[in-house]
Amino acid sequence: MTIITHNRRRSRLSTLIDQPGGVSVGTALKRAHVNLAEYEARSRQVIEEQVSALAAMTPPSGPDEASAALDKAYGRSSAVIDAAGPFEMRDICTAAANLCDLIDAAPEDQAFDWRIVTVHAQALRLLLTLPTEADDARAQVLESLKDVLKAKVPGAKD
Amino acid sequence: MRGMNGVGETLRESAVFNFDGAMTMVIDDSPFAMELTAQALLGFGIKVRHTCADAAEAIKILQNHPVDLILVDCEMPGMSGYEFVRWLRRSGLDPNAYAPVIMTAAHVRRSKVSEARDCGANFLITKPFSAGVLLERIVWVAKDNRPFLEVGDYFGPDRRFREEPWPGPERRSEEIRKAEFEAQRRGSIDL
Repeated sequence: MTIITHNRRRSRLSTLIDQPGGVSVGTALKRAHVNLAEYEARSRQVIEEQVSALAAMTPPSGPDEASAALDKAYGRSSAVIDAAGPFEMRDICTAAANLCDLIDAAPEDQAFDWRIVTVHAQALRLLLTLPTEADDARAQVLESLKDVLKAKVPGAKD
Repeated sequence: MRGMNGVGETLRESAVFNFDGAMTMVIDDSPFAMELTAQALLGFGIKVRHTCADAAEAIKILQNHPVDLILVDCEMPGMSGYEFVRWLRRSGLDPNAYAPVIMTAAHVRRSKVSEARDCGANFLITKPFSAGVLLERIVWVAKDNRPFLEVGDYFGPDRRFREEPWPGPERRSEEIRKAEFEAQRRGSIDL
């Protein structure tokens, strides 16, 4: 197979970052955290909206609608991760990623067990209401979701 | 964290970077995710110059405006992030075709893993990620000086990160030819 190598080139960005001035990593991260903190309440609202929408989803009436419905559920679950990502809500992200994994692994020639979506929506709601110090309860919720993944997707990662 | 050509090396708190004037583009179909990314970048001193809700909007801008850094969401309706990066690398636009590209994803579908590797992006970050990880990756792609390769369908930075020799027998034809040439040359010198 032919390989064409283009010479290494220095990006303009690499020149810019070494210019005099700028901010230290410590300051940059502090500023980023301050900026993001203003969005934490909105983030929670977005997560709650997406979880409610997931919970309200009804199973598709036929195979023709199945793919679109799964894509929608996948999109909502991804939106939960998008919103929770910067705010240390790792359990929320893990639960949502679990649902994404299950939808992604769903065989196209078989009907998807829609209870999976409902169970994840309920679990996400529970995680949102649990007090921050309820580590054991959170771990238990995530463990039960992981069991669903293991049962439905042979060879799923631990 | 594993060090791989600088990847995973934690940045020193006192290290200073200047992103003033960097033309940055963020492409994301989710307005909220876009806002979160823009706010984190603003903290680093990066003012996002172009925010695009889809790849088509980004393509129009890239035809006429040089860009120094692109952050693009993987999953978008219409042209996906993977398809966008593939287009960019083959666009022939100079310097944009070689711009550092960081892809972001809430989740990567199993069917898209190879697409993520082969589309030509410099880096893929999966969420959740902290502001620290984002900054570290931006600095890393800024300093990423891997050559660009055209191999079959692939056009992008050299995907071979590791510099240690492969423990098995060499299978790359150009390396085999090089080794043969070197052996012949050494033989000639011995004579």
